[in-house]
Amino acid sequence: MEKLMQILQDIRPDVDFENETALIDDGILDSFDVVSIISELDDVFGVQIRITELDPENFNSAESIWNLVQNLK
Amino acid sequence: MAFFNFKNIKVAGVACAVPTNEVKTDSYKPLFGDEEVEKFMEMTGVRASHRTSEHQTCSDLGYRAASELLTKKQINPNEIGALIFASHSPDYRRPSTAFVLQYRLGIPKEAVCYDISLGCSSLVVGMQTIASIMNTSDIKKALLFVGDTAGKSVYPEDRSSVMLFGEAGAVMLLEKTDNETDQINALVRSDGTGFKYMIVPGGGYRNLHANEEVVMCEDGNPRTLMNSFIQGTSVFTFTIFDVPRLIKDFFAQTETTPDYYDCFAFHQANLYILKQIAKKTKINFERMPITLDRYGNTSGASAIVSLCDKYGESCESKTIKVMACGFGIGISLGATSFEINTDDIFPIYEDDQVFEDGLITNPDQLYEKK
Repeated sequence: MEKLMQILQDIRPDVDFENETALIDDGILDSFDVVSIISELDDVFGVQIRITELDPENFNSAESIWNLVQNLK
Repeated sequence: MAFFNFKNIKVAGVACAVPTNEVKTDSYKPLFGDEEVEKFMEMTGVRASHRTSEHQTCSDLGYRAASELLTKKQINPNEIGALIFASHSPDYRRPSTAFVLQYRLGIPKEAVCYDISLGCSSLVVGMQTIASIMNTSDIKKALLFVGDTAGKSVYPEDRSSVMLFGEAGAVMLLEKTDNETDQINALVRSDGTGFKYMIVPGGGYRNLHANEEVVMCEDGNPRTLMNSFIQGTSVFTFTIFDVPRLIKDFFAQTETTPDYYDCFAFHQANLYILKQIAKKTKINFERMPITLDRYGNTSGASAIVSLCDKYGESCESKTIKVMACGFGIGISLGATSFEINTDDIFPIYEDDQVFEDGLITNPDQLYEKK
């Protein structure tokens, strides 16, 4: 989880990933941010998130992203 | 595994042309807002592009490039045995644009000419096709035309695409040689599951007379069915995962490493994608010429545009090892390697000419007596 938080903070240092739970629904992250996160998750965790997993719910919070990574590992 | 190795064939020259009209990305600020345009420029690297006039086509640009190439290489058009036009921007729905170029350039009737319907991967797949033809025939010299005028099918207020594309036409001359060290390698892949990722859904024979009503799409951009659709996130994930894997497989197949190559002439998709690909494949980004800033994403021509930009004006004569990579609409992707002397890489030409004889605005023109 620590590595994931680092990835997220590097991409969007202005966002409070500890507490935000509507990153997509509230438009805090845009598609470019999501793509950047996907690319970093591949590099760091070796998980390839395909279009079928691009459900907004999977990216609404750091916890949901973490759960997605765990499921794909 | 579609891996090809061709011996005794070399890339004997490349040239390209762009339209004279330059559009600065900044000029979209009144339409899309300063912040959005600035973010777009930072992410894609596109700060300007060149656009054709209404009736100027990719083949007009390719014609200029080929005319320069043949003249400077002192090659008689009679020597050309194959001409392939690989593009999604043909002059007509039919016939193939290759025949128009054959006529304009004076390529003999004994030549094989046809089109390949491809976009960003057209250089790699086109090279593989032409080399295959040469390998199994008595053809000594062949011309491959690539490029697109992708901007023509983009809805003018579609912020996902209208700032991205530039327009260009490029040509490559391939020659048979007696030297077995002259080689071309190519690794090609296709993924039809992504046929909707980049598409112009109307105007083909599935929906010839598609509704041209403007619809506000889910991504917040207006388009008609006759316009270009890009599912950005799908395309991004494909390029981030599948293209690096292709490149790594190409290195393995050819038993080479990134250090082996002097230049990575890669399709100029956008700056972010190119940086990601370089990072994931350990390619030195300094060896990847970038032309996005001045010419935008010029589809299948972009690798040659980048070669011409880097080496076209150079006075230094040397042979360089090039790896080229194309990926995009289809989904189609491929990598190729070849050597070329920098003397055979020509500068980027700017051209506004339209093939007036090819512009048919009244059916009666087709029945005029000669």
